[in-house]
Amino acid sequence: MELIQQIRDKARSLLEEGTVEGVIGYERASDGVTARPFFAYKPSVTERLIFDETCAHNLVKYLLDKKGKKMAVVVKPCDSRAINLLLNEGQIERDKVFIIGVGCPGMVETSWNYKSETLQAKCRSCQLSKPLVYDFLAGGELERQAEEETYSDIAQAEAESLATRREFWLEQFSRCIRCYACRQVCPGCYCPVCFAERLEPLWVGIRIAPEENELWQTIRTFHLAGRCIGCNECERVCPVDIPLSLLNRKLEKDVKELFAFQAGLDADEPPPFATFKKEEKLEFGE
Amino acid sequence: MNLFASKDNLIRWLDSLLAERIVIAPVRGQEQTVFQPISKVEEIAFDFDNTTLSPKGWFLPPTETLFSVQRDDGRVELVPTLVEQDAVLFGLHPCDAKGIALMDKPFLQDPGDALYRERRTRTALIGLACRQALPECFCTSMGSAPDDPSNVDILLTEVEDGYIVQVVTEKGKALLPQGLVEYKGKVPPPPKPQAVLIKEVISAMGELFNDPYWEQLGDRCLHCNICAYVCPTCYCFDMRDYSDKGKVERVRSWESCQSRGFSLTAGGYDPRTTKGERLRQRFYHKLLYFPEQFQDVACVGCGRCVRDCPVNIDIREVISDLQQVMEAKSGS
Amino acid sequence: MSVEYQPKVIGFLCNWCSYAGADMAGTSRMGYPQNIRIIRVPCSGRVDPLLVLKCFQRGADGVLVSGCHPGDCHYTEGNYHTRRRFALLREFLDYLGIAKERLKVEWVSASEGQRFAELVSDFTAELTKLGPRSKV
Repeated sequence: MELIQQIRDKARSLLEEGTVEGVIGYERASDGVTARPFFAYKPSVTERLIFDETCAHNLVKYLLDKKGKKMAVVVKPCDSRAINLLLNEGQIERDKVFIIGVGCPGMVETSWNYKSETLQAKCRSCQLSKPLVYDFLAGGELERQAEEETYSDIAQAEAESLATRREFWLEQFSRCIRCYACRQVCPGCYCPVCFAERLEPLWVGIRIAPEENELWQTIRTFHLAGRCIGCNECERVCPVDIPLSLLNRKLEKDVKELFAFQAGLDADEPPPFATFKKEEKLEFGE
Repeated sequence: MNLFASKDNLIRWLDSLLAERIVIAPVRGQEQTVFQPISKVEEIAFDFDNTTLSPKGWFLPPTETLFSVQRDDGRVELVPTLVEQDAVLFGLHPCDAKGIALMDKPFLQDPGDALYRERRTRTALIGLACRQALPECFCTSMGSAPDDPSNVDILLTEVEDGYIVQVVTEKGKALLPQGLVEYKGKVPPPPKPQAVLIKEVISAMGELFNDPYWEQLGDRCLHCNICAYVCPTCYCFDMRDYSDKGKVERVRSWESCQSRGFSLTAGGYDPRTTKGERLRQRFYHKLLYFPEQFQDVACVGCGRCVRDCPVNIDIREVISDLQQVMEAKSGS
Repeated sequence: MSVEYQPKVIGFLCNWCSYAGADMAGTSRMGYPQNIRIIRVPCSGRVDPLLVLKCFQRGADGVLVSGCHPGDCHYTEGNYHTRRRFALLREFLDYLGIAKERLKVEWVSASEGQRFAELVSDFTAELTKLGPRSKV
């Protein structure tokens, strides 16, 4: 309760002083069990703010809808990587965001009206005890008992035969209904006109079929190479349960191995595909 | 008169239907149950709450080629998509059946959509009454009920060792197998979903169009298409012609008013540029514009949007919020 | 008479080096298989990984991306970016079930006509052995 009260008090004072126009945080959802994003514009409603293990949503994305306005946002350690990413890419200005950081105990798997006891996979290997960037830390640091990140799920997929992998992915892509929830929730997806919606050139088109879905999913994943910060919101919101983390984490692992880079740790480090090392050979000799 | 079919009777009946028609039924996948054509009766999931996607996809597929135009040796040929076989849509709940009945209003209104009409005529609906109401269900507030037979050809209700078979239409009667006996037992009472008061809200919606409520609600909306795609009554689509090696196909796919480019006109004008405007459109279409045109609210209370919205935009809550907004405005 | 499988290969060649190299193979009458369809680009760095994925979606059995040798890029650094992108893409393709051997990245200079012809021959032979890309 102490942590929540600190969030509420900070939000209230920021609004009362006029330091920010709005506070983006969490409130209880209509099922009474899980959480949902909440926008507080008046001091009186800050009592609705909560924080617990159902607050999985990455609220940083909403900053892109509020450009030009000074906003406060409640940020978990994984979300703070999104802040660094957006700062790095010039999408938000540091002095237009007041970051209310929280040390995070890990989020549990939830769905409508249901809260499990199981930690989300991304949280099991998270070692961050506080956000990487913040203006105010509610509740202090929270030491994590984290497993080591071994990418065992990726290694397992890599160990299968080529044909098995092909069949697996085609089955997954055949379920996609192109709702684009994965794109809409992702802080890294902010193109004014997404490639999937372009008519010229026509990359994907409107047909919802395995071939087109595969192009959609793989190109989106590749656009996030070296940029995905691992919040796993895409997988959480997918209505047909496509294991998107198996795509994004594969690239995360390879980018780490090939270029010794992880997205969102440092707002100033140049991203791997905007730079190069002349002497690196990779697999192409010379 | 109600008839009775034991589980065995039902399996054999479905087997015989499968021999001559396409049977679309709920099938349990990895984690979800979806309606899809089956090849064996064993694939059917009889015990499910409700499917992820509604069965509207049988009549209005997520994607389909309406027709193709082929050029061959100077001859131009139009190849329409044909509906090849009769079908049975099995296991849909009354809410989903109501959804199809609502979609009929725009799609069968003269001149009607040819493909939709053909599929609709050639598909029989065997519904399954609900044994329980989920926390998100509210069908009784939307003109339906867990045991409502009005929009199916046959309604099945599960009882201890089989199913009560209620024949609703002549089409349903023609499907019946031989040898079903009369059901003389009790009909189990239907479950009671939550109630949502809606009538007053609809009449006031005209005045609430410019209320700041919509921008506030729109703040958290992600503008994905989940609500519209899982909904049994949403039916907006996009249509484009694709050409490839001398063949042109006209493709129709699901779309929704929530996407950013949906209302963009040639010339660049977009009447719905803000998040609140786009979100408002969905509620106004379902609760005001559709009733104005077709005298029925375009929501069946199935609760799928409530369950699947990643940011919990809950239509029941919106309706009750609008009542409060109304009361505050009228100076109470 | 059986029809042998002929792989469809798309080649993205940079204008200044590899395209000129291919041209040289042609003018010197060095034969190479007709399976390859060449698309000229200003620089191998222009080749968007999306283009490669799209090639595979549209039925290509193999894709070749070729540019100047690293250090010799006409635009100074384009091919350094090519290197990074396709190192990642090859692994990703393989992970998706599309054999990484189907994407070849090679550096060919304007004077390496012989090398270009051999490269295309070898690639076509490898792809013939791999067989057609399994369709969706």
